[in-house]
Amino acid sequence: MKKKIIAALLAAAMFVGVLGGCGSSSAKTESSAPEESASEEAKAEGNAASGMMTAVATPRDETLIVETQSPTDTPGQYNTYMSGTSTGFGIHQLMSIHLWEMDTVKGDQIPELAADWGTPNEDFTEWTVKLREGIKWSDGEDVNADDVVFTFNMIKSNDKIGASASTNLYLESVEKVDDYTVKFTMKESFPRFTQRFGITVWGTDFRIVPEHIYSAVEDVTTYKDENPVVAGPYTIEDKDPNGNWILYVLREDWQQSSLGVVGVDWYGYTADQVPPKYVWFRYLGDSASRQMQMVSNEVDILCEVTMEELEAMSAMNENIHAWYDEFPFATADDPGAKSLVFSQGKGAPYDNADFRWGICLALDIDQIVMNIFQGAGRAAPIPCMNNTSYLQETYTIPMQEWLENFELDLGDGTTFKPYDTGYAKRMAEATGVTGTDEELIEMFGAGWWKHDAEAAEKLLIKAGLEKKDDGWYFNGEKFKMELSFLADTEFQAGRGVQAAYNQLMAFGLDCNLVSKSSATWDVDGGQGNYEVAGYWPSGGIMKDFYSAIQGWDSQFIKPLGETGSGQGARWNNAKVDEILHELAGTDPTSDRAYELHVEFLQEAVKDMPVINFTNGTKFVPTNSTYWEGYPNSENPYDGPWWWWSRFKYVLPNLSPVKA
Amino acid sequence: MKFKTFFAQRLLAWALTILIGVTFIFFIPRMFPSDPVENMISQMETRSGNMDPEVKDALRQQLRIQFGLDGTMLEQYAYYLTHGLLRFDFGPSLMSYPEPVTTIIGRNLPYTLGLSLTTTLMAWCLGNFIGLLAGFRKNKRSSKILEGIAICIYPIPYFLIALILQIVFAFVLGWFPIQTTLLTRGTFAMWLGSLIKASILPAISMLLLGTGWWIISMKSLASTTSEEDFVMYARYRGISEAKIGASYVFRNSILTQITALAMSLGGVFGGSIMTEIIFNYPGVGTLIQGAILQSDYNMILGCITISIVAISTATLIVDLVYPFIDPRIRYG
Amino acid sequence: MKKFWKAANFRLKFGLIVTFIFLIIGFVVYYFPHIDPFLNNTYANKLPASAEHWLGTTSMGQDVVWLLIESIHNSLTIGLIVATIGTVVGVFVGLLAGFAGGALDRILMIVTDTFVVIPSLPILIMMTSLMKGSSTTIIMALVLGMFAWAWPSRQIRSMALSIKERDFIHTAKFSGENTIQIVVTEILPFALTWSLSNFMNATLSAIGSESSLAVLGLSPANLVSLGNMIQWARQYNAIFNKQWLWIGAPVVATVILFIGLFMLITGYNDYLSMKRGR
Repeated sequence: MKKKIIAALLAAAMFVGVLGGCGSSSAKTESSAPEESASEEAKAEGNAASGMMTAVATPRDETLIVETQSPTDTPGQYNTYMSGTSTGFGIHQLMSIHLWEMDTVKGDQIPELAADWGTPNEDFTEWTVKLREGIKWSDGEDVNADDVVFTFNMIKSNDKIGASASTNLYLESVEKVDDYTVKFTMKESFPRFTQRFGITVWGTDFRIVPEHIYSAVEDVTTYKDENPVVAGPYTIEDKDPNGNWILYVLREDWQQSSLGVVGVDWYGYTADQVPPKYVWFRYLGDSASRQMQMVSNEVDILCEVTMEELEAMSAMNENIHAWYDEFPFATADDPGAKSLVFSQGKGAPYDNADFRWGICLALDIDQIVMNIFQGAGRAAPIPCMNNTSYLQETYTIPMQEWLENFELDLGDGTTFKPYDTGYAKRMAEATGVTGTDEELIEMFGAGWWKHDAEAAEKLLIKAGLEKKDDGWYFNGEKFKMELSFLADTEFQAGRGVQAAYNQLMAFGLDCNLVSKSSATWDVDGGQGNYEVAGYWPSGGIMKDFYSAIQGWDSQFIKPLGETGSGQGARWNNAKVDEILHELAGTDPTSDRAYELHVEFLQEAVKDMPVINFTNGTKFVPTNSTYWEGYPNSENPYDGPWWWWSRFKYVLPNLSPVKA
Repeated sequence: MKFKTFFAQRLLAWALTILIGVTFIFFIPRMFPSDPVENMISQMETRSGNMDPEVKDALRQQLRIQFGLDGTMLEQYAYYLTHGLLRFDFGPSLMSYPEPVTTIIGRNLPYTLGLSLTTTLMAWCLGNFIGLLAGFRKNKRSSKILEGIAICIYPIPYFLIALILQIVFAFVLGWFPIQTTLLTRGTFAMWLGSLIKASILPAISMLLLGTGWWIISMKSLASTTSEEDFVMYARYRGISEAKIGASYVFRNSILTQITALAMSLGGVFGGSIMTEIIFNYPGVGTLIQGAILQSDYNMILGCITISIVAISTATLIVDLVYPFIDPRIRYG
Repeated sequence: MKKFWKAANFRLKFGLIVTFIFLIIGFVVYYFPHIDPFLNNTYANKLPASAEHWLGTTSMGQDVVWLLIESIHNSLTIGLIVATIGTVVGVFVGLLAGFAGGALDRILMIVTDTFVVIPSLPILIMMTSLMKGSSTTIIMALVLGMFAWAWPSRQIRSMALSIKERDFIHTAKFSGENTIQIVVTEILPFALTWSLSNFMNATLSAIGSESSLAVLGLSPANLVSLGNMIQWARQYNAIFNKQWLWIGAPVVATVILFIGLFMLITGYNDYLSMKRGR
């Protein structure tokens, strides 16, 4: 408090000084004081950043600076079971421990705190999980079965924890068998145990907490945990009271942390692979500010930028790179294909597959992708599925023949085959990329849907629309469709919608373009309060992506205006329900599970509930002025997902650049 | 006796101004079909999975009470007046739930006050000084150039000035940090150093625009005053130019500028919001921006209520002090 | 007219010329037939300046010149609507307060003072963020107009108070004209001369507020205005990709327009005071 009053007073004194003409010099000497004092000791080492200090007074060559996308609203709050904690602000990346982590390169999980994949009984109603030995909390206590049992019981018994209800739905009880063995009893046959309670994308709600700390807390949902005891490799060194940054420091006993134990055991880390001493997560402000800071080497890793930003930054600083060194620069394997979603709860014509297909054929994918990121990105033809490299190999390409033979009834007695395999070749030509067919398909995708205005018109007419001289009519009234997108975030989705708006207007369909804040969309998306929106409802990156599609089950649909527990699009398809119900009880590794996935995707193609444009295309730039060893297309040991909990496994591969 | 009447009248007007202002901002959000409670529940669900219907209903009810959204519009209004206006208790912040809005504003307010008050006062002093010189000696070439510069800078929007300064001085020249980072570890001097370093560019951008206006208005006041009879008379009596400038022209023009200062505070606050956002300065402006992005209505209401109270109070103080400075004014 | 021009000072002349040019661009050139500049991919992307595209094209294949013309049109429209609302309401409230006096005067002035004192930008931010998605040019102008009337009405009131006591009003009263007649025939012309500078000031600050809101991403997504044009160019990173024409055009236009309007205001005020002084 004292600091703040003095802040206000001294700021006044300072500004008098500045105007008097002597202020700027005195301010300079004062602020550079810490830099000078520290520069002497570090000079000898010979790193590119030797002698430099960060703005948080740590040696630059021991500090990895990582951007976080938004400031935290809850500075000093590290308990992820308390509402509002900014988990992605380094908390789950550096401090949390989970049962199973995700290996994004292999598209499969790895056991983190768990020592194995869990052993189910015959009908998948009981799972026995072995835990790793040797991982210690940062206060020296062992991480063991007590912590796991406590965490799950804590989640089950605190209904204020978000995951509580869904956990109680499946999980009957948890019990300790011995210090390193836990038995989970399920309420029903539950084949996807590791997927549900481990990580498949980004992170999971099931982060193990230290029993010896949390059991003494009266209400875990209001406990901030300001000095957290963690099983991950880093602890808190300092934080900004305004929530703009957190400085993490490597545990001295990090070799006993999750990263140390799992790293040696699973990835075979050697003794010289030591993570940076400090990791500084900071919020960098608006687009201009973050670019300027990246170019000035004040940050090493940015979250996500647009193609234009990447181009500008690498032109100004040759050490800035993304996944590829040349076009398309971005990795196209981010889950979350960007799409147009129809709010089917709004009724006709949005709940009519012919209408949705009509819109799809009115769009010119080539131009849309050019408009989004100048042609970068892998086209995703199949709705509700991410067309990642792995899933394209697993589903799209094997389904190619079916897709090519798929026919639409245009309603005037003719049929139309909409699938188009020429996309990759055309884009290669437009962007000047050369390569074998396989390479082009890997880069641009196996195909998309044809742009055919005539067929589109026929389908719209079949859906009950009427074309007159001054535009389209529905039920005797002039038809105007509202296209909405999220303002200022997810440019890939926003630009896709803007391009679609332009094309539909050119096609003759009157549209209105609106942007919504995330807060508005949070409500509107769930309540179905939109007509067509740019969003990313497809999920999953593993062969079995049941958990990403189970929300399409129509039993979760609520009336328009209420937030349901599943999809906001309100796609109601009896066949899909049937497939999902069967899939729920099927062993995810079985052939039957794969067949059911294919059947689901075929239904999705027939109904076109969402029009996917391109798969998640992420430009995640790194700056190798002071640090090197980042994963990239040359050295793809990991994905560039700094905001995922597995970021800790990237850290031992980084090292300071030598002078 | 007369002072008492004046004081009472002025105080009443002050109270009414605040009351009207906050009434206005209370009813505006309620005219729109958005609901902060539904908003929050939806955000919680997006973040951490779906909730049981029963849990949801209980939570909804609990949040309605906490957000002061329970009961009829009038009851809510009464709740807001008694809690928000009288005790500055705006309930919990939605984005930093359950931390109270007041705590967070209390954390950021000193920065905004420090930045905007000092720059405003300095701009006022500096602008009036230059304006006085320019107006008193209005035919000198330097006066015209100064005024010309002021006229060209003043109308430029705050955000443009801030952006240009940021690019030129922080990025290209690298003299200042691009964004604000306050050093909380280490000594007080280090923290202060980081604060000063981070405050210079935001302060300069606010100073540039503020000063321009005061130069322009003071110049026109001073040039009018310096042609009035009593100044002419002073000249005939052989009083030195410097003395005329200081004690005749200055004292007569500055009074108008004091009132104008009070009137300008609202605009300065707006400018400080834009500047803070561009430089990510940890004040109320960035708070308002964050609150808007996440529809934190308690926070927005809190920030605006406090700014209305602060600015009306500043105006009141100027009004009350004014008669002491201007001997011509008598209460009543 | 000639006499006026001769008597006008440099700033008034400069301001008049600049404002006139912008009005021509916004309300005459704008109506020349052209392709809707908001639509993407009308032309090739990122073309440099040429005879066909004087300021090149944007990253979305829009012609910068026409985008700028439409921006100027819309920004001026917003400014003029706001200024009209502000002036009409301001003159009405000011005259009413000034002539009615008593309790009505006090009440009106407290309300007016409230709107002079309360910070408009945060309230504008709140309103536009609530309306996001459903807002249009007109709604935007109406919202901005809410804060444009208070200052003029305060000024008009004090002017009304001072002329109320002047001789010609008394003369008019004696010759049997009623108050409304007096106001319309004798005072309104005065008030309008006075409020002309307020009108220009309101135009200026409305355009300024709209562009501030646009830079915060709070202006309607499909409103082509100077502020939004700057914001779009920023979103496509025109600054660092050195697309100076795209980002520069709206910035320079805004600055010139603002300086022109501001010179017009101060020049006009000087002109008035000079005339009065004579």
